[in-house]
Amino acid sequence: MEARPGPSAAVTALRGVLPFLVGAFASLLLHFVVAPASGPFATKLVMDAGINVILAVSLNLVNGFTGQFSIGHAGFMAVGGYTAGLVTYYGSMLLWGSPAAHGGFLGGGELLFLAACLAGAAVAALAGLLVGLPSLRLRGDYLAIVTLGFGEILRVLLQRTGDVLPTAAEVRRTPLPELATHVGGALGFTGIPFYTSPFWVGIFVTVMLVVAYRLKSGSHGRSFLAIREDEVAAEAMGIPTTRVKVTAFVLSALFAGLAGGLFAHLVGTTLNPRELGFQKSFDVVIMVVLGGMGSISGAAIAAVILTLLPELLRSFSEYRMILYAALLVVVMIVRPQGLLGLGEIWDVWRPRRKGTGR
Amino acid sequence: MSGPLLSVESISLAFGGLKAVNAFSLSLGRRQLWGLIGPNGAGKTTAFNLLTGVYRPDSGTVSLEGRRLNGLPPHEITAAGLARTFQNIRLFPDLSVLDNVRVACHLDARHGLLAALLRTPRHLAEEKAMEERSRALLSLFGLEERADDDARNLPYGDQRRLEMARALATAPKVLLLDEPAAGMNPREKDELTDLIRGLPARFDIAVLLIEHDMGVVMDLVEGITVLDHGETIAVGAPAAIRRDPKVIEAYLGTGAVDEAVDEAVDEAVEGRA
Repeated sequence: MEARPGPSAAVTALRGVLPFLVGAFASLLLHFVVAPASGPFATKLVMDAGINVILAVSLNLVNGFTGQFSIGHAGFMAVGGYTAGLVTYYGSMLLWGSPAAHGGFLGGGELLFLAACLAGAAVAALAGLLVGLPSLRLRGDYLAIVTLGFGEILRVLLQRTGDVLPTAAEVRRTPLPELATHVGGALGFTGIPFYTSPFWVGIFVTVMLVVAYRLKSGSHGRSFLAIREDEVAAEAMGIPTTRVKVTAFVLSALFAGLAGGLFAHLVGTTLNPRELGFQKSFDVVIMVVLGGMGSISGAAIAAVILTLLPELLRSFSEYRMILYAALLVVVMIVRPQGLLGLGEIWDVWRPRRKGTGR
Repeated sequence: MSGPLLSVESISLAFGGLKAVNAFSLSLGRRQLWGLIGPNGAGKTTAFNLLTGVYRPDSGTVSLEGRRLNGLPPHEITAAGLARTFQNIRLFPDLSVLDNVRVACHLDARHGLLAALLRTPRHLAEEKAMEERSRALLSLFGLEERADDDARNLPYGDQRRLEMARALATAPKVLLLDEPAAGMNPREKDELTDLIRGLPARFDIAVLLIEHDMGVVMDLVEGITVLDHGETIAVGAPAAIRRDPKVIEAYLGTGAVDEAVDEAVDEAVEGRA
């Protein structure tokens, strides 16, 4: 497999990064042109939808691709959100003496925010490893029970944390590890600077979608799908099923953590334990089930619809769960594989499915 | 190369008080075709499950080219070179026919997850090689036309052949076929027999075949091991096995007369026709 010379290698390299470039361009466009023109309310909705897209597509790596059943996605979101919040809030306090947003577009504050999101993703991935390793060695529904328990334990722990330290002087007096216990308890982690912008949401949505799509069309993702289809046969084809399941789970937790980081720094939301409880996990599961187990575009579309729906039905929003439950029952009866099943939206126009690749 | 390719020495497995397989031994040379027969519940599939790591033997050893396999998890045994098909077809039903085979090619892939996410040249080259190898296997089994169909939509005989193609995609040294002709009509059985006969030379593999249809086995293999109630009751060339009174008794019950032998032979011959 020798490197082919000249343009061919360059073209390959370009094609490798092209989707990211397109995504970055679209994010810039969204940030500087679309968002200012459509006002703060619409912009907030777009960001909400983007975060939900990341959550749904990442959960789909486990529930859709690998066929396991995790119902603790909000837990990993919380791990990422609180970690990122800690880094930006107390980091800003230590660096600049105040938790307020610092610097402009891609300024110092935003770089701290980026580092915080990546740290949140890393810690969430680690949590995913700790939860996944023991529970994914087994077949069946153990994962559902363990992830449910994980989310609830985390919620209770977060509710018992201390108040957020309000002044830079207090922050400087407190040893660093102890800061992690000052995240606001049941009232929530308030005061986190609002760094989440259409640009960053767009960037992370792009990364999520490209990663998911490239996974699905390559041999790693095929191993995920094989496990979902028949775990015994997958093992017999030489697939190390436990390792692959854990990989999928860790990757899923990583992106949930990233979404949590975005959520923590979003205007108009508070990071509190109740917000990231079982209800949120269940919302994400519904997005995946509605969109299609294993369909990236399906999960993304369902995430957008289910973000906008409560806004459209504002007066009914109390009854949202009844509507969701009814919707789920209808989908289970009419279309048990979800909106798109294992396929993608662009397959709809093709008479025959050309593998899972392009 | 000296010594057998696959060497099974006196493996046993008991489920509680029931000896499912007792002191099963087998030695397979390169490119050898061997049959494993026995009445229902004789322990044939259990023996397969012991070889492939689904069950761990209580005692005895399984080794491939001198490397000890028992105790390894199934995926490592497959990676070591022992591939299998399943008696009750276990394809990946919602994946395309091509993807069913491509999944099994993953052992070819040397690139990591990150390379796949960045679409490096190495990833692309390996993916291309996997697709080509998969398509070549599909065309050998006459399935290339159906590459894009979901596996669940294949007719029964095609599903059986897809299972064989998929097992071969793991590039095994020994292929274990669990009743590959089950449920096929006589013409399909004939085609399958021809196909299996060609496998050892084409892929440089040994084949161990479980088969209920005496006609299929007798015609195909160099030697046969006969199991009954977990015990090995006979080992030998097909012609000798066919006349072995213990085998006839196991298949037809005590008091079976000599005519039964002829009948069995006739049936076998008809089964092939």
